[in-house]
Amino acid sequence: MNFSEFQNQARLYVIGALESEELEEFENARKKFGKKGEDFITKCYALHEAFALSLRPAKASDAIKERLMAMVKAKKEG
Amino acid sequence: MGQPKLIASTRRKPKKRVRLAKSRARPLTVAPQLEPGAPSDLDLMRGIQAGDADALSQLYDRYNGILKALILRVIHNEAEADDLLQEIFMEIWNQAKNFSAQKGKPLGWMVTLARRRAIDGLRKKQAYARAEERLQNETEQQPDAWVHNATEEEIVLSDTRALIRKVISSLPPAQQQAIDFAFFKGMSQREIAAKTNTPLGTVKTRLELGLKKIYDGLKELKDEL
Repeated sequence: MNFSEFQNQARLYVIGALESEELEEFENARKKFGKKGEDFITKCYALHEAFALSLRPAKASDAIKERLMAMVKAKKEG
Repeated sequence: MGQPKLIASTRRKPKKRVRLAKSRARPLTVAPQLEPGAPSDLDLMRGIQAGDADALSQLYDRYNGILKALILRVIHNEAEADDLLQEIFMEIWNQAKNFSAQKGKPLGWMVTLARRRAIDGLRKKQAYARAEERLQNETEQQPDAWVHNATEEEIVLSDTRALIRKVISSLPPAQQQAIDFAFFKGMSQREIAAKTNTPLGTVKTRLELGLKKIYDGLKELKDEL
């Protein structure tokens, strides 16, 4: 696998779309490309951020935050 | 299985090719605009790592809308989305020690976590059928479906969202659909192939081409990728 093919696979990898038989090959290539490969994978995770930001924000109910903060407080105290 | 109605509707009006000339592209503000002096996301994550509940509260205020939209896109149920949102922020609190700024931004980490939890939730409840039914019902009114003709009003609502959606909407509908199924539904290439009655190789090509175009488009918008 050359680096260009690795880049294509990496973009599929970060969204969990590699099939199991492709995954093994990808992991081998990942080792082969070392830091350069890891850096590229890290950059690909920005796709997650972009997909989320492509959506119109949805308001959560106010009770959710209250419950969350109460849980956090209980956890800290416990 | 035929293409969803939504796809057909997008074909009525060919999309203009999006040109993202660097001179015209405004800076892509990935995170919402912060008040002057407001702590950065990284500051808040560090606060959470140090056990500061107020930092979590601020991070919640900043991102609950984005994360809830993502969860809703996966599970299509308001009450379940709220519950999951709470669980996800609790996980952010509990797992903050695993966040590393070297591995990416706080928002990216939170989105990855939220997506995984939402897809897990969908699978655990074996709710594909119900979600699909809701999706079918909601698609026509759902403003946030990728595959639709965005109105001018929608485009001016948010610079960031509009710019990202501009990149996404420049993709052929089949590529958008494949990425949508993979990212928001956690479907494998084989599942997408079966659902869309498309050869596996074609699905793979659609995903590869589509993701590359989005990646390159975002790179043009923001020289960070």
